[in-house]
Amino acid sequence: MSEGAATIRTRKFMTNRLLCRKQMIVDVLHPGKATIPKTEVREKLAKMYKTTPDVIFCFGFRTKFGGGKTSGFGLIYDSLDFAKKFEPKYRLQRHGLLEIKKSGRKQRKERKNRQKKVRGTKKAKVGAAKKK
Amino acid sequence: MSGEEVGEAVSLLETVESQTQDVTKLVDHLHQKVMEGGYSTSKGISFLELKYQLLLSYLIDLTYITLQKSQGSSIQGDPAVERLVEIRTVLEKMRPIDKKLKYQVDKVVRTAASGGTDSSDPLRYRANPDNLINKLEDVSESESEGEEKKSKLYQPPKLTAMHYEGDETEQDRDQKILERAKKRALSTSMLRELREELNEGPTEIRETTSAQRSRAEKKLRERTEYEEENFMRFSVSKKDKNEMKKVAGFSSLNNLTHFDDISALTEGRTPQAGSSKKRKQSGKA
Repeated sequence: MSEGAATIRTRKFMTNRLLCRKQMIVDVLHPGKATIPKTEVREKLAKMYKTTPDVIFCFGFRTKFGGGKTSGFGLIYDSLDFAKKFEPKYRLQRHGLLEIKKSGRKQRKERKNRQKKVRGTKKAKVGAAKKK
Repeated sequence: MSGEEVGEAVSLLETVESQTQDVTKLVDHLHQKVMEGGYSTSKGISFLELKYQLLLSYLIDLTYITLQKSQGSSIQGDPAVERLVEIRTVLEKMRPIDKKLKYQVDKVVRTAASGGTDSSDPLRYRANPDNLINKLEDVSESESEGEEKKSKLYQPPKLTAMHYEGDETEQDRDQKILERAKKRALSTSMLRELREELNEGPTEIRETTSAQRSRAEKKLRERTEYEEENFMRFSVSKKDKNEMKKVAGFSSLNNLTHFDDISALTEGRTPQAGSSKKRKQSGKA
């Protein structure tokens, strides 16, 4: 997809030394088109701030009523290690840096019901043994 | 000295002599009484007795001192002076207690002077706290045991002050409602436009944002500010979503042809609940 007329502007730029990152509000202008996907926003930001796109994390994009303008948040970490340390797990999972094992809803509920039958520290053991 | 004064002095000296004789007789009498045990001091002496004993010894010491001074001898280091100082301090210390006893002493003196007390004298009585207890509790308890509760109507507890409406008649209520409806009718869009038309002053043109819209805008602005400040996004509840749709969408076009009821002004009666038609507002038309 051609990026075309999409423009990115940043607002409220702040260097957060405590969390080793730069944080800002990202405004994307895309008149006449749908909202730009996050990966493209990351690449554009990487070009603007001269870093690799893998230390850039974007989230919270909301399009204004009527279309054409989207606002979101962007964080640029100093290095990937810091990113892995400070970012919440779900955002790392979005980038593919972390794998969260998720059992299905039914499995979770069944495990809970099996645990109800046992008292105390045995509850932890019960969960492991999944009856077929 | 003249002859008159000599005569006066002689008569005075005679009176002094007779009076001292009387005093010695009285003292002997008292002395006898004390020896016989007429005055028992086994329990110590009372406050008032102490007081007049102290005053007496004070006077004696004072007269002794004045005698010494009139004779011309010095009173430096005299034990009488020390005694005087001691008695004086004790009397000073007794003064507040004396003040507290003043009422009782005065009452006793008054009864002694007036010769007997009137039983219906109001000053004889003091407050009786037992009379302040509500004696009706016992009565109501015995009654409720006999018969069951009359009404099972729920009475909410009276915690805060409420507006009193007991003396308001039906007429007053109707009148109040009519007045309120009139006031509301005066601020409808129709009458506002009429007022603008007939007003002689200059016309004001201002951008119209209804109150609802301005409220919604203010709320939205606050929320976005918070979100940008804290780098997070809120989830919008259904109520807020509908409100935003109403403001920003096409549903507000329905209100163009909806006029408020002004029958309060035209016909002089309150608008009836059933007669006003409520229009259902559709979403994005």
